[in-house]
Amino acid sequence: MTREERLLRAIAARSETARRLEGGGGEAVLRSVVEATVALFEAEAASIALFDAASGRLVFEVAAGEQGHGVIGLSIGPDQGIAGYAFTTGQALALSDVASDPRFGRSVAEKTGYVPRSIVAVPLVDDEGTIGVLQVLDKRDGQAFSLRDVELAGVFARQASVAIRASRVERDTAALLRATLRWLAGAGDITGGAAETELEPEDEAALDALVRRATDDLAQDESDGLWRLADRVARLRDADPASVELLVDLLDVLVRRAEKTSRSRHRGSAATGRGDPDA
Amino acid sequence: MTDALRPAWSEPFLDGRRDALRRERPIAALDRDAAFGGSDGSGVLVAVIDSGVDGANPAVGGRLVESVRVELAEDGPVVIPDPEAIDVVGHGTACAGIIHELAPGAEIVSVRVLGPDNRGKGAVFAAGLEWAIERGAKVVNLSLSSRSEALMGVFHDLADRAYFANVLLVCAANNVPGPSYPSLFASVVSVAAHDVPDGWTWYYNPRPPVEFGARGVDVEVAWRDGGRIVATGNSFAAPHIAGLAALVLGKHPSASPFEVKAILAATADR
Repeated sequence: MTREERLLRAIAARSETARRLEGGGGEAVLRSVVEATVALFEAEAASIALFDAASGRLVFEVAAGEQGHGVIGLSIGPDQGIAGYAFTTGQALALSDVASDPRFGRSVAEKTGYVPRSIVAVPLVDDEGTIGVLQVLDKRDGQAFSLRDVELAGVFARQASVAIRASRVERDTAALLRATLRWLAGAGDITGGAAETELEPEDEAALDALVRRATDDLAQDESDGLWRLADRVARLRDADPASVELLVDLLDVLVRRAEKTSRSRHRGSAATGRGDPDA
Repeated sequence: MTDALRPAWSEPFLDGRRDALRRERPIAALDRDAAFGGSDGSGVLVAVIDSGVDGANPAVGGRLVESVRVELAEDGPVVIPDPEAIDVVGHGTACAGIIHELAPGAEIVSVRVLGPDNRGKGAVFAAGLEWAIERGAKVVNLSLSSRSEALMGVFHDLADRAYFANVLLVCAANNVPGPSYPSLFASVVSVAAHDVPDGWTWYYNPRPPVEFGARGVDVEVAWRDGGRIVATGNSFAAPHIAGLAALVLGKHPSASPFEVKAILAATADR
């Protein structure tokens, strides 16, 4: 492995650690979008479904509102129901009296434990196409959604799309690395946006190989102690200050021990601890 | 113009904003009777490019004369007959129902570009539009659009071909900012919704790109499997204008797209 490749691997490992420590930063933004949507519309629920290319389905990722949570994790066909329509056509629309029509996507609604009377669905669109749908269910005052509501939901959807785009770029270490390298090579911008000058196909292939070598087996072993640690630390975000304080004390002890072991191992052999990216 | 600052298309047509639509008309307000009196759209073929049209739905009045669907084959999209005439969502039936309500004599041909077998890819949509133009439709209702920058050229070419073949494309404006083809091209009729509960009320907006406002709020529409539903969206405004265009063409079969547009502007409520 060349010095450059070792450096790239180090960058990849640190970026992956940071990504894990961030722990669903993108999801937090999405959640704040649906929470704001519920508050503004005084709606019973709001949710965001994203298209999952692997399964070819729309997956409900986040939801807010008293009636919202049943939908999280459910998935529907990309052309199913009103969410599917908004997704496939890119058209925003609102329906009222949904519950009165037994044919309308009721089976999906019933799975969530809440059958709405009215729905607004607006597509989430970024530069590369439609990536998902924002849905708002039922105003608490029982009124139907107006056209202004549809347009307002469109503004929120735009926010969500920007957030998703940003978090997707950060979240994917390989994409980040590729974007950086492309940028260094003078093609494309650092945010992963469209390239102004195209790279030659062979350079493109070389770049892919480089990224692959740097990120290969990076996240393969989910039981890797370092990733487990990163995941636990990410979860600590929600812990109370006293627990965090206690943990810092515990970690102090552990780190001192690790340093001691590492020193004695260094004296004994050339082996180094796993997780040291420069190794 | 940045996307974030782009105004919501329906805004000019809403209650409280419509006074701004008043202007000195270049052509005196035209009598609706002169424009389409006595016409029921007979002799006019209207294509609905959407999720399919349920020909058996009473709202369509048995006027569905042909159904095709576009599928994505290995070497590109192909148009194939769809004799079962199904609507996979209900949306296309809703649009056809509105057209039939205004122009009961018009014949409808359905081009299904959405379905379980595709995600309504832009290329499928473009192939459907091309087929409709060649099929001889005089009016094409497009309550959907493509955001694919890559297909902008294709749609621009199709919009020109339609225009030169005297085919009027009626497109729903998109509520979501960003590119939207062909609904933002100059040669098409771009429609947003107003909130007056009357299908015979329409407005002309002298500040494009969206030129017409038609009924699109809480519209009771036909849906799939013979159902009905109350719906809101620019999708339902476009077929109102498509129906009116069919009426105009029923009375004046030689009218070109720009003449139909001028007649609809001159007969608008404002």
